[in-house]
Amino acid sequence: MTVGLGMALLAGAGTRAGAAVAKKVDFNHDVRPILSDNCFACHGPDEKKRKAKLRLDTEDGSRADLGKGLRAVVPGKVSESALWKRITATNPDDIMPPPESHKKLTGRQIEMLKQWLEQGANYKGHWAFEAPKRPAVPVVKAGAVVRTPIDAFILARLEAQGLTASPEAAKEALIRRVTFDLTGLPPTLAEVAAFLTDKDANAYEHVVDRLLKSPRYGEHMARYWLDAARYGDTHGLHLDNERSMWPYRDWVVKAFNRNVPFDQFTVEQLAGDLLPKPSLEQLTASGFNRCNVTTGEGGSINEELLFRYAVDRTETTAAVWMGLTAGCAVCHDHKFDPISTKEFYSMYSFFNSAADPAMDGNSLTTPPILKLATPDQQKKLDALEAKVSAIEKTSRELAAKLAYTDPATLTPPPSVKRTESVWVDDDFPAGAKVTASPGEPTQWVTAEKGGRVFSGKRALKRSDKGIAQDFFEGGPAITVPAGAKIFAHVFLETNDVPKSVMVQFHVGGTWSARAVWGDQDAIDWGKKGTNERKSLGALPKAGEWVKLEFAADSLGLKAGTKIAGVAFTQFGGTVFWDKAGLSAETNPLTDPTQSLAAWEKENQGKNNKELPTDVREIFRSVKPADRKPEQSKKLREYYLENVCATTRPAFETLRAELNPLKTERDAIEKLIPATFIYRDLEKPRDSFVMIRGQYNKPGERVYPNTPAILPPLPKGDTTNRLTFARWLVDPQHPLTARVAVNRFWQQFFGLGIVKTANDFGAQGEPPSHPELLDWLATTFQQDGWDVQRLVKLIVTSATYRQDSRVSPELLAADSENRLLGRAPRYRLDAEVVRDNALFVSGLMNHTIGGKGVRPYQPENIWEPVAYSGSNTRVYKQDAGDALYRRSLYTFWKRTAPPPNMTTFDAPSRESFCVRRERSNTPLQALVLMNDIQHFEAARAFAQRLLKEGGATAGERLAWGFRTATARQPSAAEQSILTESLTAQLTKFQANPEAAKLAIAVGESKPAADLNPSELAAYTLVANLILNLDECLTKN
Amino acid sequence: MNPLHDYLTLQNRRQFFASAGLSAGAIALATLGAPARALAAAQPVPLRVHPGLAGFPHFAPKAKRLIYLHLNGGPSQLDLLDYKPKLAEYFDKDLPDSIRKGQRITTMTSGQARLPVAPSMFKFSQAGKSGMWISELLSHTAGVADDLALIKTIHTEAINHDPACTVVMTGSEIPGKPSLGSWLSYGLGSENNDLPSFVVLTPVWSSKSAAQALFTRMWSSGFIPTHHAGVALRAQGDPVLYIKNPPGVDRSSRRAMLDGLGKLNELNFQRMGDPETQTRIAQYEMAFRMQASVPELTDISKESKATLDMYGPDVTKPGTFAASCLLARRLIERDVRVVQLLHRGWDQHGNLPNDIRAQCGDVDQPAAALIRDLKQRGLLDDTLVVWGGEFGRTVYSQGTLKKDNYGRDHHPRNFCMWMAGGGIKGGVTYGETDDFSYNVVENPVHLRDLNATILHLLGIDHRRLTYRALGLDQRLTGVEVEAEVVKGVLV
Repeated sequence: MTVGLGMALLAGAGTRAGAAVAKKVDFNHDVRPILSDNCFACHGPDEKKRKAKLRLDTEDGSRADLGKGLRAVVPGKVSESALWKRITATNPDDIMPPPESHKKLTGRQIEMLKQWLEQGANYKGHWAFEAPKRPAVPVVKAGAVVRTPIDAFILARLEAQGLTASPEAAKEALIRRVTFDLTGLPPTLAEVAAFLTDKDANAYEHVVDRLLKSPRYGEHMARYWLDAARYGDTHGLHLDNERSMWPYRDWVVKAFNRNVPFDQFTVEQLAGDLLPKPSLEQLTASGFNRCNVTTGEGGSINEELLFRYAVDRTETTAAVWMGLTAGCAVCHDHKFDPISTKEFYSMYSFFNSAADPAMDGNSLTTPPILKLATPDQQKKLDALEAKVSAIEKTSRELAAKLAYTDPATLTPPPSVKRTESVWVDDDFPAGAKVTASPGEPTQWVTAEKGGRVFSGKRALKRSDKGIAQDFFEGGPAITVPAGAKIFAHVFLETNDVPKSVMVQFHVGGTWSARAVWGDQDAIDWGKKGTNERKSLGALPKAGEWVKLEFAADSLGLKAGTKIAGVAFTQFGGTVFWDKAGLSAETNPLTDPTQSLAAWEKENQGKNNKELPTDVREIFRSVKPADRKPEQSKKLREYYLENVCATTRPAFETLRAELNPLKTERDAIEKLIPATFIYRDLEKPRDSFVMIRGQYNKPGERVYPNTPAILPPLPKGDTTNRLTFARWLVDPQHPLTARVAVNRFWQQFFGLGIVKTANDFGAQGEPPSHPELLDWLATTFQQDGWDVQRLVKLIVTSATYRQDSRVSPELLAADSENRLLGRAPRYRLDAEVVRDNALFVSGLMNHTIGGKGVRPYQPENIWEPVAYSGSNTRVYKQDAGDALYRRSLYTFWKRTAPPPNMTTFDAPSRESFCVRRERSNTPLQALVLMNDIQHFEAARAFAQRLLKEGGATAGERLAWGFRTATARQPSAAEQSILTESLTAQLTKFQANPEAAKLAIAVGESKPAADLNPSELAAYTLVANLILNLDECLTKN
Repeated sequence: MNPLHDYLTLQNRRQFFASAGLSAGAIALATLGAPARALAAAQPVPLRVHPGLAGFPHFAPKAKRLIYLHLNGGPSQLDLLDYKPKLAEYFDKDLPDSIRKGQRITTMTSGQARLPVAPSMFKFSQAGKSGMWISELLSHTAGVADDLALIKTIHTEAINHDPACTVVMTGSEIPGKPSLGSWLSYGLGSENNDLPSFVVLTPVWSSKSAAQALFTRMWSSGFIPTHHAGVALRAQGDPVLYIKNPPGVDRSSRRAMLDGLGKLNELNFQRMGDPETQTRIAQYEMAFRMQASVPELTDISKESKATLDMYGPDVTKPGTFAASCLLARRLIERDVRVVQLLHRGWDQHGNLPNDIRAQCGDVDQPAAALIRDLKQRGLLDDTLVVWGGEFGRTVYSQGTLKKDNYGRDHHPRNFCMWMAGGGIKGGVTYGETDDFSYNVVENPVHLRDLNATILHLLGIDHRRLTYRALGLDQRLTGVEVEAEVVKGVLV
């Protein structure tokens, strides 16, 4: 067979090469691809780009009078057709397609168009937009081979091209193939043995049934769906902080395991929230369209983001369910498919009222979310919430009642005065964390009990032989005003005088400023003579209260410095401390702690991270003149409660009550898993055609609707997402079932019947087996969208069960295996490659579901790229069992996904992906040889070889080879393995130290009862086996 | 890759080596790299692991390789390269409405009461024969001004970092498109069989302010096959991920393992006949060679003192911009197609003078040294160097304005980039902005025009570098507005 013949065969398989055969021309198969690729950009559906008013995508358009009786297409009359004249013109000004388009028709394509014109130039609607008709199952010569109708369709094509199917694969290959395809894991040796010895005619079907019942099935099927759903554990943009979405991931796993029918699966994900009394499961499912990437980047424009999210949701939905590249119509009428921008935005309006905010707040739980609390947790939360809101209400009422006059509004204006603010007197500041070290807990004494007290009721007391202190951190930071003086009162017991006393300040994240009185060297913290340890005088006089006072900036505490903590320290002796704080001259007009106006001015337009988000956002993005009354009210309330020096104390008791409640509430909430769900706003947003896809250029108003080329929406009172979701799975819908079965097919055969699984439009490739696609689609619908039934149908077909050997003849005739004259053979997906190593090594932890885990990852994958303030900046690897979970459960940071996954073509999950690439690179070799995960698995596998594999090297190697490939090694293979083991043994026996290093890779411990050199040698051979082409490939 | 083509080529190679009596392992080895060179006499055409597309380049390229110095965060054109002497008299005055023209600004400053003009506090002077105006912050760069074409009117639509960076790197705001380097690798292939064709370096930065994030999508291959994705060389840990053998496993052990693997895979190929198996054998051998070539690449012990001095004192600290520039030159010497440096920390909303000084301290001397070093080795003739960020910064101050302290918000409407090397006319200043560096007044250059120009210099017609995805013949320069090559900067 020659290559030339092979090309011709392929052309028949539906490529655009267009073999010139004198048969009846089929418009969809033979002509539309040529016109679409070469002509539609200027003579297609896009009205704005249309040239010469000629439209070639419709029959009417092609026959229209272009002036002076000129017509592009005159049926049956080639020479009168302008189309023919232009495609055969030689003058560069006349020839079509024009030279500047860089498109050129081949001789065969020109010939095909000629035949089409001769045969009457008939048009047919694009195949994918017409409902599938159930075709008759063809009768084939090799009828004996047929196991399912699928095989008849496949054989019919093969026979038409003079090819035959391959024989059935060996049982070992078969069980390995189907186990990988249904569970993402290899079969165990016991499973292989059971299948080999099962002589029942339905032995294979029994294996399939067993696998479909395995919980691993749902995990494996979910993985493909999660690519389409663009599932990730982070927001995906800017800070790329963590988001809590994993209950949705677990829902997908469960849905496949429970075999939820695909129509229900569809409706629950697109509109679960709109179902009557939606269950928690249905609400969780609605998270599908919350999986899109979102941002919280400062400076972003809300309208733009909302627009983008709605576009993503529309585009993803259209691609995943309908195989439409609707995104093109965001900016202009689709150039190739009959989707106008108006139709796009009509679909978009189903998704344009989502209730989630434009800015995700970089939050773990951007609303709307569903809290999956246990009943007990919920009860506690409700109780706490009731208390919290009661206090907040009291607080607001208090704020409303409080008499406060902004000094800035007084006439005459008040004068500058010296004010004191006290941090410590009778207690530490509210909310601060207090520590005593070392020795006794903090001790407050009163005068009644013999203590020394300077002011109020009590004072701090501490006795020690060495360095000792009481200090606080946290609580509201103290901002040093200009000209501030810091003071503290101290009393040294005459009969037990310390060597020195010290006051320390926590600034900028560390204890960095220290004032010392007395022996400068007794407490040797910080660099002497600098602000880290500065002497401010002799030890105060003992036996009386002394006020220690100093200018704040003498210790480098300049105006504006935030003091986050203060420590009262001594070396030996008995010391009382009382009333500490600072004093400053303040101008009530400009002091933000006195004047609301001054505070507002200070914060306006700034991004003050110390303020709560709602307050901060008002300052940041609203000009004072534009503030709404409720926003001004919010600012005032916050000010009086938290900032204003005169009113703040009035809230002290409330705060003291509130803070522990909030802490308790936060602690419970942390334990409750949450998941993003979809909700609409109460009042829907209006939708418009956005001119040229610009978020700020609304054009014509549009209403929820679907493209005219597809069946109409059912008539009803409401038209919402639920209507849309149900419309998708209506039996009349031409796309949904086809697109779904095509993706399942792709999952098992590597390529879909429509190769462009994401594009069923005119630019997509036509199906290799159109009748089979329609037969599968209609079967799927008739069977009640039963996914497991479809899957079983596919994997029990003779087509699937063929041998995968690539003969030179088949390779030459059909290099891509579109005709399926053999079973597919291709590299396992990223997750399967890793899971396989964990499984055969015995390391795998089979726990199902839960929060994403962080297995081995090289250093500096997240850190060098992440935003400094991101909570996914530092990768903190998990320990123990979590290292060995299935890859499905690996935490997915979308801006820096795990490299041992992306190296094997896992998508970043930033946008939907319905078909992965499958590359073959040296970086993959490096992962499999050197990744800790893989090398540790090799060592664990080696241990199994040594312990379970048998008594001799030969038995062990054969056992290892069989475990990884399901088949016995040949004599030649066995001898290569033996040779390799001998070479490694020689090396490691000569260097036991190296052996010890090699077997210590990873967290799990090597078996202590094995000889390190022997184990290391076996580890290298196990590493070899796990790197075999056969091991990495679905055969 | 076309499997049929590969299969046939491999068949031919197999026959060739079989007649030469070489083993399977040797075939795999000889398919690529060094041993192939040793066999050059017998091999009329040197084999390339990743050849370019047929018909590429479209015309004789002026540059064969690209070094792209990306300054991430939005360097202030006003303080570096866009000299605006008239601003002095506008200090702290409001930006005139006639200039702002109601253009959108980010929500970081839209709440600000005023938009007061902040003239640059830095001195500018004229450099080189052309008298190019350059800030004192870039005094070393001024020394190579005659090699630079400065474009002052680059513009983009994106006003925030994430989308803007995605545009600079991939030509589109929407994540998922292939990066510039991936497009070049895809179109032109790789000239080096031991190293990736597109390498990314992410040096550390000195300004202490919080830096914007990078995203792997900035060097991803999008819908193009993944072997065209950029490979990030790392300063800490292994330079290439997983390049080092595990502890206790030396090179001879690895060789022994690969010998066995190669033989078994060859048997498997004979059994199953799948050309992918042959590719896999070759890729394992390339991995083995990379294990040697990568450490050699990063070993700078043989660089002369004069060379090291030129890059400045940071050059010996791995992960600095200086070290990365030197590494870029070493990669280019080894015929790596695209090297991209992504230097973060240029997002100066406040405290700009201080931070930008630190940032320029990182990049000025090494970038100039890179030009000089390439030149002295004759590499500048066919290497293109591009320098710039994702947008510029506003003339009005964000936050407090003092003569010597101010901040600037994002400004996508015009910013500066320079190009040097193969096909670039040195000493050219292209495009002009108004007195406030707020609007383009002459010769606008959209980022897609810049990309078209880069492709042009590498011998590619940007309209003909396409990949079919999502129903379209996708292009780096997009399919919406036609990009134009910036002729004014070409020789």
